[in-house]
Parts: sequence; structure tokens; C-alpha cells
Amino acid sequence: MKQPTHPPKWADKFLGWFCAEDLLEEIQGDLHEAWYLRKERLGTSQANRLFIADVFTFFKPYAFEKYSRAKQFLPMMNNYFKIALRNIWHRKGFTAINLIGLTLGISAVVLIALYLKNELTYDQNIPQAESIYRLQNNYREQIYTNMSFPNYNNSSAKIQRTLVNHLEEYDEVATACQFVPTQSDIGGRSKLLVKFGSREFVADNALYSNTGERFQAIFPQEFLLGTPENAFSDFQKMVLTEKLAKQWFGENWRLQNLIGQSVEVQDTLYQLAGIIANPPSNQHFGFDLILHQQEIPSWGAYTYLKLTENANIASVTEKLNSNVETVFPRYNKDGLAKGISAIALPDIHFSQGNLYEIKPTANKTYLYTFGIVGFMILLIIWTNYTNLSVAMYADRQKELGMRKVLGARSQDIGFQLLTEAVLLTLLCFPFCLLLLQHAIPKFSELMDIETSSLFFNSFTFSLLLSLLILTGILSGIYPAIAYGNKSMLRLFGKKMNAFSGSRFFNFRNGLLTFQFVMMVALLSITWIIFQQMQYIQQRDLGFEKEGVIYFNVDDVEKFQQLKTALTAIPEVKSVGANGIPGSEMFNQFTYKMDKTDVVLSDGTMNYLSLGSVKTLGIDCPSCNKLSEGKKRLFLINQTAAEKLAKIKGITPEALVGETVITEPEYENEEYGFGIPYVVDGIVPDFNFFSLKYEMQPLFLNVYQEMPFVYEMLVKAETDNWNGTLAKIETVYKQIENVQPFDVAFLEDRLDKLYTEDRRSGILIGILSLLALILALMGLAGVVSYIAYSRQKEIGIRKVLGASVSDILLNFNKEFMMLMGVSIIISLPISLYFSSKWLDSFAFRIEPQFWMVLLAGLVAMLLVAIVVTWRANRAAGEHPIEVLRND
Amino acid sequence: MTGLGYLEETILLLILSMDGDAYGFSVSEAYEKHVGKSISISAVHTVMSRLEKKGFIQSEMGGATSERGGRRKRIFTATTAGLTMIQEIKEARQKLWNIIPGLS
Repeated sequence: MKQPTHPPKWADKFLGWFCAEDLLEEIQGDLHEAWYLRKERLGTSQANRLFIADVFTFFKPYAFEKYSRAKQFLPMMNNYFKIALRNIWHRKGFTAINLIGLTLGISAVVLIALYLKNELTYDQNIPQAESIYRLQNNYREQIYTNMSFPNYNNSSAKIQRTLVNHLEEYDEVATACQFVPTQSDIGGRSKLLVKFGSREFVADNALYSNTGERFQAIFPQEFLLGTPENAFSDFQKMVLTEKLAKQWFGENWRLQNLIGQSVEVQDTLYQLAGIIANPPSNQHFGFDLILHQQEIPSWGAYTYLKLTENANIASVTEKLNSNVETVFPRYNKDGLAKGISAIALPDIHFSQGNLYEIKPTANKTYLYTFGIVGFMILLIIWTNYTNLSVAMYADRQKELGMRKVLGARSQDIGFQLLTEAVLLTLLCFPFCLLLLQHAIPKFSELMDIETSSLFFNSFTFSLLLSLLILTGILSGIYPAIAYGNKSMLRLFGKKMNAFSGSRFFNFRNGLLTFQFVMMVALLSITWIIFQQMQYIQQRDLGFEKEGVIYFNVDDVEKFQQLKTALTAIPEVKSVGANGIPGSEMFNQFTYKMDKTDVVLSDGTMNYLSLGSVKTLGIDCPSCNKLSEGKKRLFLINQTAAEKLAKIKGITPEALVGETVITEPEYENEEYGFGIPYVVDGIVPDFNFFSLKYEMQPLFLNVYQEMPFVYEMLVKAETDNWNGTLAKIETVYKQIENVQPFDVAFLEDRLDKLYTEDRRSGILIGILSLLALILALMGLAGVVSYIAYSRQKEIGIRKVLGASVSDILLNFNKEFMMLMGVSIIISLPISLYFSSKWLDSFAFRIEPQFWMVLLAGLVAMLLVAIVVTWRANRAAGEHPIEVLRND
Repeated sequence: MTGLGYLEETILLLILSMDGDAYGFSVSEAYEKHVGKSISISAVHTVMSRLEKKGFIQSEMGGATSERGGRRKRIFTATTAGLTMIQEIKEARQKLWNIIPGLS
């Protein structure tokens, strides 16, 4: 038998595969020597077996550590760094464009991510948020986010606590609390006058609670001074947030012995019992101070409960609804009461259309839109940098070839290219930080969120860093593979097209088309959004909004005094009580025509004085009836008139004198079922609510003298606003000395209805602009590369008689074809997403086919400009310059 | 101060005893011969690379033979630090031996 001279080859190869190169020689040598000796001593088969066993015992990290001898590793890395930095420096212009684009894009993406994080983590820092629920009242067709007290405003301290105490009797409920922030629809939105000895302050947002200990148990506050026990065990206690303490008492508030001092709020005495850390801004209720007192000054409160472990909220609401007679005796026989439901704390910020929600909620569609646009920008960046880095390496083929000659393996080349790409992106890191530092406050202002919640933290840093590295890797990976695998000879040979595929259908054109599609889509969506915002601004609402201001007045007597005093000011044209338009839909109820059976459920009722009707300039011929001795008129709008007339089978005009019964399910002693109203007249339609709602039946109760007043409207000359306002304020202060003068413009109020939509529009606009700039920058880079690689072709064309314009045309042709394809692809995308955005408006423009086409044409023009600009450099070269190289 | 494990100490002693002819395979052979237990070549390599990192031994490439298919050996020699270390260990042991009653 022939003696084998070799240990098992496969094991040997395996060793060679996994073992670090610099260790291989000695290890393999040792093993071979051992095999040789063992073969003599123990025979071939035993030696082979031991050899294989030995190879496998080397299969461990020790042998994998490629660069375990660091002396070999560092010089190579050093070389990569040096070459990368040289290249970056060598192409300063190119690098600068790259850096600017990348910095802008990545910063924008980080901003969006921060914003989304802020929105999506609402209420998440409240411990066990998922076991905390808020009770909501379903009444008529709507959901009220608050619970009303059994006797509304006239509930005693004990009665106010009925529900909370009842809840705590359930085994499922660990604890329950209720509160009302002043900055909420049921809190009156008025400011509070706070007197600290001789010093006076104004507080914007106080949280009234009559269940402080339980509030602390559900929403734990961090006490910086004082203790929760002291603050909440007794009533007439005040707790300040750190923010307000700083604002009122300066930075050294801790040293001023504030705890225990007495404070006067709106003429009531409190004791300052604690100072707490600021509540996070992304919480569904905010406050600057807490007032713990016997009675909550409102007709209801926001009511929360925390479940015990493993308890189910459904069984709580079920029990509540079967115990309505104890909790809400009023609702027991009320056909309009549709029961109590509960909403989990984390869901509150995303609920839509509920009444009296404390803070504006977030529309998830908008959040997703931002997310998608952010991701699109990221994709544009990635495609840009893939394109650019491929282009950049095109004229470095020889360098890469040389490296191969000197022994670089394909993975070494790949590693080098990746290092360079990552290094370039990492250069942006400081610039991104700088930009973010300046952009975050502006952005927070635009989106109306608190800066502190977005500012620099480990999340921002790690997100930024990982995005940059990821971008580097993604943009470097294609050239790394494409060049790494090329043979030495091809690298030294003629310049090759790094993009595989045919002349038209190739990787680069695929990326470009993708960018163009997004460019056109974003442009047209932005355009459509702005059209809609303009439409809202310019639409005739059916009432006059110019020069109308309003403020809170809470009693009739004061209103009368103010009315007399204000009408004496020559600039004041008219004053009225209640009936300010421009709110979200509220108070929807059911109604029917007397002696018919069709019950409608889309009515809204409003109570206002004749002065308000005049102030708003609503055309009301039948209002004359008030001067004929009637005290109250029942008017219906055109929409209601048409609906009711159709049911009754008469003309709308004939409705005057007919009876409408509201809330026919409501059983009462006076009228039996419902409340009858005799129609006194018809008013033209006007948009009392936000344009997001359809024009709906509106019922107006117009009074000569309002029996109750909560707000006052004043219309004045707009010529000298500041002077007029000052006069009004002086008059106000003479009559009202407790409530601060807190005036607002009707126009601002109407604007505010669409704040979120405008914000989303502006944000999408900015992002689209950014996407456009990035895409065009990327395009410029690609065209430069193509122009460079086609230099000779262009030279020959020129020699053969082509003019510069011929060549430019030739360049543009290909891009215009891509652009055409992109416009067609983006058509359905743009139309779909813009109509999705418009869906939230009842009064809206229709996204049109031609809008997208027009946006596409604009984009096409921009592309043509960029292509011509970049290609012009190549076309302008003298043919001799480029052809003599060979 | 980096210490030495039992195996590290033994291998360091073996390297010292082999005086310029210590490399992975030869050390594993010597270990079997003097200690009487078998040890895999990979274990010897790992221990020696650890000793080298700690600075007790140094290495250089040299001595290709035909059994090795012309591959060079990595020859290990002890450094001064290694020598001092091993002496210190011995002295420390000796002190302990000396205080065992009935043995000294």
C-alpha cells in the first residue's frame, strides 16, 4: 500500500479556511509535524484521526482573530483612513455638496423621528399606564371625555365625589381620582390671579382636584419641596411646578422658605404645600399648579381609575352601567344617555372627535404621513449616495487595481470602500448636531411641542450615529461589491460602466426613476395641500369675522354693565353675548318634525343674543320679531329647513310657525316626550363649525336679553386696533377686577381650527422641498459622472460636427424619458395620498389630474436645468483636450 | 500584576527547559513526556499566545523542516519578566514549604 504523504486534505483545507492567515503557518506546521510523527508511531489511520481532532480543537476564537497581532492591522487601517481623507480633500467641492446634502437630509430624518417618538410615547411615562383608564360618557351621538357631576354646577362637595367613591367600592378598581385643568373646555380656559403677599402673578393652567391623594397614587408627582402627604391630606393646599416656581420666585426658589406660606388665588386662601418637577409635556393633560380643594369649580370632571392586577375594564364599565341610578340618578330614565365607557390612557392622545378633550389629539394618519415622508427622504439619501459613490470610484479604478496587485483581496477592497463611505458620512456628525441644535427649537415652535422633550439625549445621539453609519454602509455596499469582485485586469483596463444592466434599464436609472417619482409625488401633494389651506382661508363662511374679538364674562350683570360701557366707545360697532363660531362640532342631538316619525340625529343647538347675530353680520330678517315684544326666537338654518321641509312635504318657507321637537326620546313631565320649539324664521347657512364638517342643521335661539352669559363678542373699527383695544381693556378693568383681561380675535380662533392641518402642510412642504433639493443634488452628481465617462464620445461627436446644443439635447433626452415614466407612476400615488389628506375636510378641493401633471412639469424643468448645467461642462470642453489622452 | 495559572506556569517552565526549541508541537510533546498527561496542540497555542500577551515569553519565526511541509515554526523563548516571575513563584512556594511543621 502506498504510504500517504499528506494528512486528510479536506481537514487541512478547512483549517486554511477558518484560520487567521498570520497564525496559519505555525499551526499548520505543528499539525503536519505531529501527523508525520504519529504516522510513524501509531499508523496512518490513527494519525489521520488525531489530525482531524486537532483541526477541530483549533476551531475557536483564538484562531479566528484575524488581526490578533495588532501590528499588522493598524497600519492597513491607517492607510485606508489616509487614502479616504486624501480623496475627500482632493474633491473638496464634491465632498462639500455631499456633506451639505447628507447633513440636511439626515437632520430632517432625525427631527421627524424625534417628533414621532414624542407623539407616540404620549402618557407612556406614567407608571402602569396601560392599567389606567379614563371614564367617558356617551350621550346623544357623542362621547364626552369628562363625567358630569350629578347636579352639575350645583353639586355639593360630597355629591361631586359620588362617582369616585362608588368606583373604589369595586374590587377591580385600585383607586380613582378626578380633576379639571383650567385649560380645558370644562375648566373655562380662564387665567387665575395669584397673590403672594404683595406680589401678584397670573397662572395660566391650574389643575383643580378634590381627590389629591388618589391623584398622587395614579399620576405620581415628584416632590422637590414638601411632601405629597402634607399637600394632599388636607384641602386648600397649593402645589407649584418647578417651572412656575422659577418664573415667580427666580432661580433660588428653593431657598425662600416658600412651603407653608399662604397664597390667595382669585380671593380664596390656600397654603403652598409643595413644589414638584414639571410634568412631561407629552402627557394628555398639563398644568402649572395644583389646587387641592373640597369642590371642583366646574359642572363635571375628568375621572380616572386604576385597575387592580388582572382586573378587566369591561367588568367595571358593565357594573357602572347597571348602577346608573346610584351614580347618575339623572341618567336613569334619560333616553339620550348611552352609557359609560372607558379609554385606556395610552389611547387618549390618538382618539378623534371626542368632546372636551383636554389637549388636541394627534391624527395618526398625519403621523404616518410624516413617517412615510421621512423614510422617503432617507431612501433618496441612500440612492443618492449609492449613485455618487459609484461615480466617485469610477476614476479610481487604477488605485484599486494597484491594491489588488499588492495583494489586496476582494474583501479588502470592499472593506476599504466601506471605510471611506462610512468615514464620509461620519464627517457629517458634528454638522448634524450643530444644525439640530438650531433646528430643534424652531421645529418645536412650529409643531407646538416643548423643546425640552426633544433636546439632546442619548436617543438623539445614537439615532443620528446609527443613521449615518447605516447610510455609509448602504451607499458603500454596492461599489464595494461591484469593484471588489472585478478582476485586476479589468480594473486596469478601460473605464467600465459600474452600473450593470442595459443602457436604459440599469441599476442607476432604476434609482433615478425612484427618486423622480418621489420628487413629483411630494411636490404635487404639497401643492394640493397648500391649495386646500388657501381654500379654507378664502372661503366665505357666511358671517363676518373681521374686527371681532371675544373674551369670557361669567355673569349677566357684569355683561350688562360692560355692554353699556363698551357701546359708549365710538370705535365699538356692536356687542353681543355668546355664540362664537369656529369650534369643533359639539352638542349634537336628535330632533323631528311634530306629527312625523322620522327622527334625525345631526342637529346642533346654539344660544346667542341678538347683539351677537348683528356682530357676526348674519342676515336675519325675522330677527325684527324681537323688537315686536318676543323675548326669544327659534331660528333654523337653510340646511335644516330643507331637510325638515322634505319630510313634511312642504316648501322650506312654509316651515315658519311649524313645531320642531328636539330630543324626542327625552321623557319629561312638562311636554311628555322631547321639547317643542316653534320655528320663527330661517337664516342662511353659515359655517358655525370647522370646515371639516358638512353643513349641518343648526338651530339658533336668539334672545333680546341673554338669560345666561359666558362669553362676550365685540366688533370694532379695525383702523387703530391697539388704541381701541386699550380703551376696551380700560373699560373691562373698571367693571371686572378679579378675572384678568384675556381677549382673543375671532380670526385667530378660526385659524386655530386648522392648526394641525396647517402644521402638517408646512412640515410636508418643508420636507418636500428638502427631498427636491436632495434629489436634484444627487442628479447633478450623476450627470457629472456620466459626462465625465462620456468625454471621449462627446469629443468624437464634436469632431464629427455636433454642436454643443446637440450634445445637451442628447443628454437631456434620456433623463426626460425617465422623468416621463416617473410622472406616470407618481400620478396614482399623488392622487391617492392627497385625497387621503383631504378626507378630513368636508369642504375641500378635489385633487386634479392636471395638478400632478403640472407639478411633474415643474420637476421636469428643474431636472432639465440641472442636467444642462452639469452636462454643459463636458460639452464645452475642446475635443482636443479629451481626445489627446490616448 | 498579572499572575500565572497552573497550566501557564507549567508551560513556561517547559519553554525554559527546552532552551530555544520550544514551539507548539514540541511543547505539547514535552508536556506529555514530563507531566504524563496528554494535551492538545491548540491548548498549547492558546496558552502560549496568552503568555506572550502578558509579556512572559517572546517569539520569532524560524526553523522550517520537511515534516512541516516547509512551514516555519514559531519559536518561543522566555523573557526576563518570565524568568523573574517563575523565580518569584518558586520562592513563594518555598516559603510555604518551609513553614510546614514536620517537613522542614
